Amino acid sequence: MTALRWIAACLLLASLAAGTIGDSRPTHRHVILGGYHVMAADFHVHSFPLSWATLAPGDTALEAQRKGLDAIAIVGHNHVWVSIVGRWFARLVGGPLVFTGEEIVSAHYHLLAIGIDSTIDWRQTAADAIEQIHRQGGVAIAAHPLAQYWRAYDAQVRQTLDGAEVLHPIAYQSEELAAQLRQFYNSARLAAIGDSDYHGLGPIGICRTYVFTKEETQQGILDGLRHGRTVVYDRAGQAYGDPILIRLAAADGRLPQLASRVASESRDAAGFLSLLSRIAGVLGLTAAAVAGLVTSRYR
Amino acid sequence: MLHPAAAYRSLSQHSSGHGGRWLGWRKPLLVAFVLGCTMSLITSARLTLRLAGPATIYWSFVPLAETVALAAVCWRTGRTRPFRQTVDLFFAGHGPWLVWLIGLCAIWSFVPSIRAFVFTRVWLYGAGAIVILWSAYIDFCFFRFAMRRNPARAGCDLLLQRLVSWTLIVAIFGGPAIPPEIAARLGARFGT
Repeated sequence: MTALRWIAACLLLASLAAGTIGDSRPTHRHVILGGYHVMAADFHVHSFPLSWATLAPGDTALEAQRKGLDAIAIVGHNHVWVSIVGRWFARLVGGPLVFTGEEIVSAHYHLLAIGIDSTIDWRQTAADAIEQIHRQGGVAIAAHPLAQYWRAYDAQVRQTLDGAEVLHPIAYQSEELAAQLRQFYNSARLAAIGDSDYHGLGPIGICRTYVFTKEETQQGILDGLRHGRTVVYDRAGQAYGDPILIRLAAADGRLPQLASRVASESRDAAGFLSLLSRIAGVLGLTAAAVAGLVTSRYR
Repeated sequence: MLHPAAAYRSLSQHSSGHGGRWLGWRKPLLVAFVLGCTMSLITSARLTLRLAGPATIYWSFVPLAETVALAAVCWRTGRTRPFRQTVDLFFAGHGPWLVWLIGLCAIWSFVPSIRAFVFTRVWLYGAGAIVILWSAYIDFCFFRFAMRRNPARAGCDLLLQRLVSWTLIVAIFGGPAIPPEIAARLGARFGT
């Protein structure tokens, strides 16, 4: 058993060393198109605790930076305080822009409130919640608006929304669900949003939104959202969003190329160090579990 | 892990009150460490100090909640051995949960992310259900043979331990979204 402990320790040390050495910040790929700054953002990111998420706000902000995101919205389930911690931490360490906000989780709808500072009660209609978001100067985005949530957003309510998630990881699990997201997005004049709904499983920013802003600030991004200046690419390269901006980006070529690279690199797992870290990590944890649990003797 | 009744009978006979101060800490710390490493591997497909270190610290709320629940059970029913030994024996039954976590690590380390979402759903719910039953049986054997309860009492202790620990864990992990999620599920079931 002592030998197994040594093996576990060596494997885990090798994994940690390889993973930590290979854990570098990507070079920032700044794109300016048609006079706009193009900022990569993920507006649907959850953080530990109280939101079924695995990483604390500070870790979430740093992980977003590693994935080349310029901005994220940390949205607690029916609370904003985790996002306030995340914003404070990101400012402290020079991380990405972190929006405060929440995902209003109601029995009938899920709604992202981006750029608000006070929690909004989930026990009200979507129309009232959207009005409160706007009153706080925030932006309202329909979160994964699948058919089961459509009843909460009648035609009038949809006009008051600022955006809707047209791309979400569930779109890759089923074509039917992907079609429902597209149908909702096309049902009103909404900003196209791609979000990862990050809870800790898989890479943050696997689905992301490119916001065309006049300035690289939170206000600039919020203005971009309100005016629908967004473009989203799925893994097949299909673009959603403002047609003029999509044409502009296509003519330039850099943004589709960047999006394609993000899609193919979304595991960020290429390279020898990453492979070594993964293999040694899983084997090391297995050995540690066996060595750690099968030693209960009190003699 | 595969023969918990025999294992706890044997461990119970061998226990004599020794093991040092470290005894009550090492297995809960191992569980916290595996949890921390899991969070790093599933999100970035690598083990980094940046993620695994802090995550080990804040995910230690899970073994902490389980220890609090175990203390509640022991306080209610009286101790049969030093608490550090009780903790060590109890956490010796965490094999199924560690297998489950390591499986999750393997999925997110080696399966392409889009396919990993599908695999994860199967693993979380399918394997998760098996692990819940399996670990319940192991912990029942712990209360029955290591704590020397009769079957009915062992069952009650298991239920109390689960009630206290899972309530704490779910409240901290899930938080304020739980009531509307329950309402949504009930609504879907009863068509309201």
